[in-house]
Amino acid sequence: MTLVTIDKKDWLKGLTAAAESYRLFGPVKEKDWHQFEELDKGEMPDLNMVNTRLSPKALLFPQSEDMLEYSLDETRDDHHIMKEVRKDYSPRAVVGIRPCDAKATQLIKLNFDAPDIKDPYWLKAYEATTFIGMACDTPLSTCFCTSTGCGPYHEEGLDVLVMEQNDAYLAKILTDKGQVFADASGWATTSDDAATFEAGKKAAEDRIVSKIETDNLADTDLLELHGAPFWDDVAFACINCGTCTFSCPTCWCFDIQDEVNGKSGVRMKNWDSCMFPIFTVHTTGHNPRDTKTQRVRQRFMHKLKYFVDKYHTGIMCVGCGRCVRQCPVNIDIRRVCELMNSFNPTDACASQG
Amino acid sequence: MLGYTEKMRGIASRLLKDCSVEMVIGFRKGSMPMMNEPCFVTTIEDVPSLIWDSNCGINLANYLTNRKEKIAVFAKGCDSRNIVNHIIENKIKRDQVHIVGVPCTGMIDKRKIAGMVKGEILEVSETDDTIKVKTADSETLFEKTEVLQQNCTLCIHRNPVIHDEMVADPVEEQTSLDRYADIQKIEEMESEDKWQFFEDLLSPCIRCYACRNACPLCYCPTCFVDESKPQWMGKGQDPIDVRTFHFLRAYHCAGRCTDCGACERACPVGINMRLLTRKLEKDCQEQFGWEAGLSLDQRPALDVYQTNDPGTFIK
Amino acid sequence: MEMMGIERDRLHMSWVSSAEATKFIDVVTQVTEAVRALGPNTRFVKQQAKVA
Repeated sequence: MTLVTIDKKDWLKGLTAAAESYRLFGPVKEKDWHQFEELDKGEMPDLNMVNTRLSPKALLFPQSEDMLEYSLDETRDDHHIMKEVRKDYSPRAVVGIRPCDAKATQLIKLNFDAPDIKDPYWLKAYEATTFIGMACDTPLSTCFCTSTGCGPYHEEGLDVLVMEQNDAYLAKILTDKGQVFADASGWATTSDDAATFEAGKKAAEDRIVSKIETDNLADTDLLELHGAPFWDDVAFACINCGTCTFSCPTCWCFDIQDEVNGKSGVRMKNWDSCMFPIFTVHTTGHNPRDTKTQRVRQRFMHKLKYFVDKYHTGIMCVGCGRCVRQCPVNIDIRRVCELMNSFNPTDACASQG
Repeated sequence: MLGYTEKMRGIASRLLKDCSVEMVIGFRKGSMPMMNEPCFVTTIEDVPSLIWDSNCGINLANYLTNRKEKIAVFAKGCDSRNIVNHIIENKIKRDQVHIVGVPCTGMIDKRKIAGMVKGEILEVSETDDTIKVKTADSETLFEKTEVLQQNCTLCIHRNPVIHDEMVADPVEEQTSLDRYADIQKIEEMESEDKWQFFEDLLSPCIRCYACRNACPLCYCPTCFVDESKPQWMGKGQDPIDVRTFHFLRAYHCAGRCTDCGACERACPVGINMRLLTRKLEKDCQEQFGWEAGLSLDQRPALDVYQTNDPGTFIK
Repeated sequence: MEMMGIERDRLHMSWVSSAEATKFIDVVTQVTEAVRALGPNTRFVKQQAKVA
């Protein structure tokens, strides 16, 4: 681990140099919010932001992505043969990703980079990417990262963590990939000011005012929780839109569709959402979750129970608060987590008499 | 509207106590400023969670679709018009709903307010005609009229058109409004500019379908966008598919939309898709003299043929 | 459709009875002429899905 300081005056120069060998992505202002986009030459990531509207998961897992292409033209030798779509997997770097979104990448990795099954599209994009994180000194009132095993200076999933320090940036280089990026950017002025980093971290963590409790989730019986009496109440307001799952940095479900135009076609994957009524409908027509309550329960059980039990790495939520802020009917994962975490099956039986 | 909460709780308690309804649908306090959560109450103990203020913009008619219980529901002017639609379209029976009318002075626009202050909004409080917004380092007072949702500023049915009882006396209706100035402006554009205008308007769409799902009119068991046999339209992010979704959805609401604003309010990226539905609302009014959801006794304009229906567009 | 930026002359709506052969020919001729005058449609055309 190396610490370097970068004078703010040299920031632009560094990134311009890095752009020679990397495609750069970063937050840019769009209408009244920020969004992760590919940066044009000389364009700087706008680091003066709170959380982006959507998480940067789309950089590795686009909302719509071509997987395979084919021709139906029978005069061609290769008709009806699925071919891989050529893509640009040259080195890229995301500059200004928040620690919560970077940690989310690691949670998604558990699914897309499992020992037996790999998602080549996600994995190739992931391996091509260097993550330059921006420590978060301005959390929102809906941020609860410190109680999800994450935090405003959390390093998991990052190659470099940058913090702002008056006229300079202090960058902690965490991996070899990070070192390569630092070399490309000419970040060479080492610093021994680890204390500043620690102080910044402490101060930022103290600014997180929202917290959740997750200590009982693993020990609560799965089926009891599944049958808990509060699900109808939790789900009532839900309109089954995809806002929460689309804005979530850890939601990874997708749906595969073919689209044919004339004689050529593509097989593409699109974000899917467990909130949608047709999510995982079987070809028989059977819908495993055909009521709203079942779908809402699926979302929260997956994030706060199934995932916990399967991977033993905590909950599938990094506390970015996007779903809390954007839900059109104010369904709040913090409240649901509280209900789930404090659920006591014996009480429920007693109350049923 | 400040005194409504107590009266509503009283009405809800009475209706639950004398068993005239099985559930009451209303709002409870949200966990964020300017957000309330639609909820249902089935026991008198839960009645105190009910509240009412200027953040109850979600259309509660949406929560009545195909329900079997006997339900009491709080209904603003727009909600009541959508309940009328629901009854006409057989989505709920008239004798199944006890409509508690709520005279409405408009709902506030959280996105507009967020754009008018600097920093994160931490607390919002209101009086009858002012809205106080607190951030970490400032406090701003707005006239309620300057921060209303656009559909509320254009509303001419603030009082419920149908009700079994009222929470309060009717409020004064707004008159002599120019309701379609923005639509007219688009109508006057050159064709190419119109295309570009909607291209820009819809470009942030992420197809989460919050607009569709917040809408009480959209209750089809399977929406045309979700059908895959046949696949009416692509499921990806292609701008043509996004546009197809938005304009076809608007058509499906023609002659039914009450401009309650639930779609725009629900949109996580702030798209004003009401420009499409309101164009159709305007056409319905101009060509058929029709306003949706005002009466249980009249069939909707697009439901019936009348000899004086306009036909000049058929050549 | 027109509101959204489709050219006025690209859309036609006519009522032709199966007994009105002459009217049918007239309408089709008129429509093709009007559309041809506008040239190829560039707006509401989806080529291959534009995705990542």
